[in-house]
Amino acid sequence: MNYPVWDVPFIGSGWTIGIIAIIHVLISHFAVGAGLLLPVVEAKAVREGRTDWFPRLEKFSKFFLVLTGVFGAVTGVGIWFSIGLANPEGTSALIHNFVFGWAIEWVFFIVELSLAAAYYYTWNRIPQKTHLRLGWAYSIASWGTLVIINGILTFKLTPGAWLAFAGGGNESHHFWDAFMNPGYFPSLGLRTLACVSLAGIWGLVFFGGLPESDKTKPNLVSWSTRWVIPAYVLMPFFFAWYLATVPADHRELLTLGIGSAGAGTFSHVTRMALVSLVASATTAAAAFFFTWSSPGQFTRKQGLALLFLALVATGSTESVREFLRKPFVVNGYLYSNGVRVSGVATMNEKGYLASSPWTGNVEGADLPPGADVTGQRMFQGQCLSCHTLDGYRPLRHLLAGRDGKSIGNVLQMLHDHKADSPYRKFMPPLVGTPDEIAALRRYLDIQVNGKITWVPPPPKADSTKADSTRLVAVDTAKAKIDSAAKKDTAKVALK
Amino acid sequence: MSDETQNNAPVDDADRRGFLKIAAAGALGAAYAGMVGYPVYRYLASPIEKAAAEGAVKEVVLDHGLDTPKNSALMFQFGQKPAMLIHHEDGSWTALSAVCTHLGCTAGYDAAKKIIYCPCHGGQYDPHSGANLGGPPPKPLAEYKVRVDGGKVVVSRA
Amino acid sequence: MRDTNVFKWLDERIGLAALMEVATHKTVPEHKHSFWYYWGGISLFFFTVMCFTGVLLLMYYRPGPAAYESVRQITTEISFGWLIRSIHSWSANLMIASIFVHMLSAFFLKAYRRPREVLWFTGMGLLGMAMIFGFSGYLLPMDDLAFFATKVGLAIPGVVPVVGPFISDLARGGPEISAYTVSRFFALHVVILPALFIPVLMAHLALVQKHGMSLPESEQDKPEKERKSIPFFPNFAMKDMAAWLVALNVLALLAACFPWPLGPAADPLKSAPMDIHPEWYFMSQFQILKLFGAWFPGEIGEFLGLGLINAGIVLWLLVPFFDPERRAGLWGRRVTWFGLFVVAVLVITTIWGYAVLPAAAG
Repeated sequence: MNYPVWDVPFIGSGWTIGIIAIIHVLISHFAVGAGLLLPVVEAKAVREGRTDWFPRLEKFSKFFLVLTGVFGAVTGVGIWFSIGLANPEGTSALIHNFVFGWAIEWVFFIVELSLAAAYYYTWNRIPQKTHLRLGWAYSIASWGTLVIINGILTFKLTPGAWLAFAGGGNESHHFWDAFMNPGYFPSLGLRTLACVSLAGIWGLVFFGGLPESDKTKPNLVSWSTRWVIPAYVLMPFFFAWYLATVPADHRELLTLGIGSAGAGTFSHVTRMALVSLVASATTAAAAFFFTWSSPGQFTRKQGLALLFLALVATGSTESVREFLRKPFVVNGYLYSNGVRVSGVATMNEKGYLASSPWTGNVEGADLPPGADVTGQRMFQGQCLSCHTLDGYRPLRHLLAGRDGKSIGNVLQMLHDHKADSPYRKFMPPLVGTPDEIAALRRYLDIQVNGKITWVPPPPKADSTKADSTRLVAVDTAKAKIDSAAKKDTAKVALK
Repeated sequence: MSDETQNNAPVDDADRRGFLKIAAAGALGAAYAGMVGYPVYRYLASPIEKAAAEGAVKEVVLDHGLDTPKNSALMFQFGQKPAMLIHHEDGSWTALSAVCTHLGCTAGYDAAKKIIYCPCHGGQYDPHSGANLGGPPPKPLAEYKVRVDGGKVVVSRA
Repeated sequence: MRDTNVFKWLDERIGLAALMEVATHKTVPEHKHSFWYYWGGISLFFFTVMCFTGVLLLMYYRPGPAAYESVRQITTEISFGWLIRSIHSWSANLMIASIFVHMLSAFFLKAYRRPREVLWFTGMGLLGMAMIFGFSGYLLPMDDLAFFATKVGLAIPGVVPVVGPFISDLARGGPEISAYTVSRFFALHVVILPALFIPVLMAHLALVQKHGMSLPESEQDKPEKERKSIPFFPNFAMKDMAAWLVALNVLALLAACFPWPLGPAADPLKSAPMDIHPEWYFMSQFQILKLFGAWFPGEIGEFLGLGLINAGIVLWLLVPFFDPERRAGLWGRRVTWFGLFVVAVLVITTIWGYAVLPAAAG
């Protein structure tokens, strides 16, 4: 635990990133999509002599500039803040690995924003051809930002050839292995299609506000709908391609929730995938049906309903993508709680908190009576990245009904991380010495049951090994018998 | 200029627009049919999938199989399908599938005639080998391996 | 299209041309209150989902002693069983909620006036049946929540003097909730209610076709030239489809994000949970009965409460006779005030009912 832990009440640090990031995707993908839509529509207007479109397009580009320049930038920076606080190890790994990638991304951002401002402010002030060229330049710069960030995002799930060099100390020399990973192109296709669709949706939101008497409204609304729908025809192919690049054991997470969605089953990915499919189809279908017969009567309220649907589709899809990667932040290299795969053995031997600066008692540490700070630090470092006590994925609820012994059994299963452990598919191994794990068990016992409900029996007097390891041996044996006999809901549900 | 370009294309444009509308509607309809249809199909087919999984049953232990009297058959379930364990007059044992190869009825052992008989359409099988002797069945009954293990009868796939 | 051979073949046999005449000539008024026109269709959509998922659940549900086990299998073993059940339960609640929205919007826009009174009566019949659908369906899983909620609910007819206990016994199929109750409620839920509901629903829809959509007073005030309307087909129908798709999406979102839970099997020997209560659409009656039971001694209080609720329902039903057409405003306004009063009572007693529930154990 090299960094302090960010404890966000109720929703947890993970969803703090999630909420900010989902809003950012809704806006940033609009930025890329509309970056293409605007020059295309402007060229069409010029070609067909529809000069009455220009004032509306100018207003739309102002809306576009403000939304993407302000909210897009704010949420984008918000992602930086929240990932740095929630997962400093992961953020550090990404920064060190993609240094110049990030730098180039920022260059493209600056070019993109400058061009967006220039595009709006020079409407009717510079020759038509030049203005159009500005628009095309913007769309290239904007798509450039997607091209770069896509490499970093897809690297996390499919690091590809880079994984062979992980931990060698010169990972950043293998930038291209990491960037051009197996998931890169299918994801780029999917995101570009999503950008095109979102451009259409925001267009519907904006042009829906035109008064019914406006004669340009039917055309502009129809035109926006045409941008929403084609993406859905191509998406299935890219999606199938994307799924093929997802490692098989991660793909299996999609099926975990088919048999049951009850407590103890990790059904999140299945359920969110269902929502993603339905919401995506409904967004396209609703856009289609709302505007088919009388686009001139499309209202802003209907546009906002579509935006809500698009938000649901975006949120659920990004949620599926993130959860597919469990239990890693960088697949095969770095677990979600900041523990490196390569560091597991050392931490088990020397201790999880051995190199942590945060081990002592701190004023106002909020320790419940009877708990020790080691247990609390173990909890904060290894559990808080995905769980809360009473809010999102609440441990008080998930461990309810278990006494200290039973909690110890779960921790042992997590620590052993065996091939047939039901938790292995979505949880990292629990690392630490037996003393640290026992401290965590006591801490959780107090949090769940209000007091210590079980004390391990003292070791036999003729032991030659250290007391704590002997205890673990006894615990493990008992755990093996007990966990077979006990009704382990997770095992039952996943059978 | 714009009038002419617009007037030249109305029919083609309308046709193309109509076709695109129908194509889009069709694609969306197919997407919905798939999204609703897939879970419904898996839901209705669930017992079939479970049976297939159980069909991977390799052997069945009959705790009281040895108690079967001579010249009679013990009916039991092998996985999802009915089967019979026959104790012959001469003391030998045969285990066969009881699913008639004609139309799937459950055949039984006729002790009086010492033959396996299917009441649905009168099929007849040899009780030692399962061979189809008479009536409509086109194929013999599937045979299982029988062995005794610790006082119990173990029937396994041949 | 009308000169194609396919069209002519169909027209000769099913009168396709006449049907299309209706579809293309039917118009729907378009004004600032048009949003409320969609809610009848949305209720119909949810009802269709109920029928579809209900039939699917019927494939695996076993009424009687194995009820809980069959629902447990559906929820935890059958592929996507949890999803079918989750959609069925969520859609039930959404259906009743949208029927309330539909009824209240029809009330306040005064769509019960001449000549649409029978629409109002059939609509109320449909609402009543929908709530009994909900009540009977709630018991079927036979988990402890279902068991105790039904127990508490069946006590309500029991407060009627003389015949009350007998009515409750008849509904229960005995003095206590048992496998007989499940079978009885199952027959009610799957055969009797659908057999009654569907003809009344058809009549309701036929009358909507006959009379068309009613115009709110603000539209009636406008001269005919200024009133706007759109053709039903394809304009309104397309928007209707879009509304249905949004409803489908909300349903999918709720069913997937908040899967319907299954508690432990019903154990009649256990005492009822501290916070036992019926579903939200019965909370108002539940709380009113509680209040009257507390204000008046013995069973008189609850009987009085029940009487008041029924009197309210009867008045609500008879509203078209109090306000049959647009006159100089008196009865029209009184009925509107009555409606606002009823909405206030419903909302306040429902919230109050939840607020005074003791904290759930554990």
